[in-house]
Amino acid sequence: MAKYFAKRVGMMILSMLAICLITFSLMHAVPGGPFTSDRKVAEEVEAALNEKYGLDKPLPVQFLSYMKGLLHGDFGPSYKYTGKTVNEFIENGFPVSGRLGFITIVFVLLASIPMGILAAVRNGKWQDMLIMAAATIGVTIPSFVIASILVYFFSYRLGWMPSYGLDSWKGYILPVVTLGGYSVSYLARLTRSSLLEVMGQDYIRTARAKGLSEFKIITRHALRNALLPVITVLGPTVANLLTGSFVVENIFAIPGLGKYFVNSVSQRDYTTIMGVTIFYAAFLMAMVLVVDVFYCLIDPRIQYE
Amino acid sequence: MQTMENKWEMLEQTSESREKIWSRNRTFAADVWFRLCRKPTAVAGLLMILLFMLFALVGPFLTSYSYSDQSLEMVNIPPVMKVYDVGSCRVYITPSLKLIRVDENGSLTGMLPVVRYEHEKSMTIFDCDGKEVALYYGRSVYVVCDEATGNIYPAGHIWNHDHLLGTDALGRDILARLMYGTRVSLMVAFVSVLVNLVIGILYGGISGFLGGMVDAVMMRIVDIISTIPLTLYVILIMMVFGQGLQSIIIALGLVYWVDMARVVRGQVLSLKQQEFVLAARTIGSSSRTILLQHLIPNAMGSILVTATMLIPSAIFMEAFLGYLGIGLRPPLASLGTMCNDANANLRTSPHELLIPALVICLIMFAFNFLGDGMRDALDPKLKK
Repeated sequence: MAKYFAKRVGMMILSMLAICLITFSLMHAVPGGPFTSDRKVAEEVEAALNEKYGLDKPLPVQFLSYMKGLLHGDFGPSYKYTGKTVNEFIENGFPVSGRLGFITIVFVLLASIPMGILAAVRNGKWQDMLIMAAATIGVTIPSFVIASILVYFFSYRLGWMPSYGLDSWKGYILPVVTLGGYSVSYLARLTRSSLLEVMGQDYIRTARAKGLSEFKIITRHALRNALLPVITVLGPTVANLLTGSFVVENIFAIPGLGKYFVNSVSQRDYTTIMGVTIFYAAFLMAMVLVVDVFYCLIDPRIQYE
Repeated sequence: MQTMENKWEMLEQTSESREKIWSRNRTFAADVWFRLCRKPTAVAGLLMILLFMLFALVGPFLTSYSYSDQSLEMVNIPPVMKVYDVGSCRVYITPSLKLIRVDENGSLTGMLPVVRYEHEKSMTIFDCDGKEVALYYGRSVYVVCDEATGNIYPAGHIWNHDHLLGTDALGRDILARLMYGTRVSLMVAFVSVLVNLVIGILYGGISGFLGGMVDAVMMRIVDIISTIPLTLYVILIMMVFGQGLQSIIIALGLVYWVDMARVVRGQVLSLKQQEFVLAARTIGSSSRTILLQHLIPNAMGSILVTATMLIPSAIFMEAFLGYLGIGLRPPLASLGTMCNDANANLRTSPHELLIPALVICLIMFAFNFLGDGMRDALDPKLKK
């Protein structure tokens, strides 16, 4: 197992290198430099700016110096906001996004698993139909549509919740529901199908034969195995939540990392785009790895070669 | 009466007729079609897709508006208008506090001229065929009333006859934009899936067919790419190529082929062990012929399923880019950019958002249903 994870970490480092290289070359393939603007800037000024940020050096040198900065945890200066560094954006934005993401994951787990269990227990009855219909809708509707519709009804029509900001606990409700909508539906479907599969197995029949109550069978015996696939997709779910945050943070005007990213995309702030992309990618890969380690620990049947 | 007598006559029975298979021989395609037709959701999805294609392709010829025609007088008008009957004419209050004359059919015939502003009374006085009517905007529900008495004129709802689905913030007809946007979204989806198909089949096919070191290296590359959050890369590629239809297609095509390559490789790996490949090799077929003529057609089932499943994600991605404002350049419309444009006026004109949002959802439903059906029909072994 240790060997397997060493291999995984090695792959991760390779992937990170590839990501840095791809991002760097993409950013330098963008037509126009970071200081090309509508206003005519004197050539000397542009040259001086280029020199200050080291943009006059050959590309490999620039890449190496950027990588050197990265290894020291330095994402470089922002090109659009003088005096600000990309690190500041990440330090300001990530805690906000992280808190929202954490609450969303808790919400997703608390909502989806009971829904999946209920649907599986009432297989074929109206509760099952209702939950599965809702889950199908939740998987298909894009998050920005959900967000806009929720804002329209709950903020504008009913006035129950604020349409932007995270000032009170009420402000969290709509973003969390929007962000988690897809994952709740997806995990509920997954929980249902995997629980149904487990319930058909022999050891569940044995448990029934022992005379255990249905409640005990599900909570003690079936759920333990049925939740394994759910844990597998937790890693990708975190990825979904993070990329979903682009839309959600924009709609609800939440000053998180996603909003910084989208802003920097529309303002062509290259170092910020690169920095945030690399940060996101590293975070996601780390999350997937953590989930895999966890998975391996709780399921002794898994043998990694 | 002769037929009655012949009815029970024995037919001549030969061993040949006993061996003959009397039912018609079904081809693979007919078999798939038969299984697909037995799933109501898949048929519904297919019908919906065909209807949307018809809507997107034929629709623009049936409407007199184009997707880019602006009319700054007719801004943000909903499909169902609340009109006030002033007596001599009917008027509709626009969200920007102007009065538009409406005839009995629901056609908009023009703005009413302003006579004067009564700011103390929170009223604007308009001239309606010589009669003065007041628009009272003191409370949140604006009403048309008589200035002197303050009596509110009777109101009723009427369908917008000129713009069946209303107009957007620049006075563009939403129905025309919807047709155009649906066309763009469907086109982006189909073309980018086609690009994925070509890249994925070639990459996965070569990797699986050659095997060994080549396969190992090619698959490591796929592994690395699949760890990269794809949404980020679509956005970055969009920045390199600039806004526009081609860039979206290139970005989606470059990024989403990884799954396809894996599926094709897996299929090719298992198929190439079979006897028919050996037979082809024995008669001297080249590797290229074996790969393209024998292996890929046999893997077509799983390839098609993966492709159908890719379409909704391509549509979603295009809408997502449009929504973030880095999709198409205005005035081009796609369903995502329409939703994005509508967000500014969400409070007063929700129809601008709800209509394209509904269409996105329906298209996604249709493709998901069809994809599920296709999977069951093409690959009965996969069925749960």
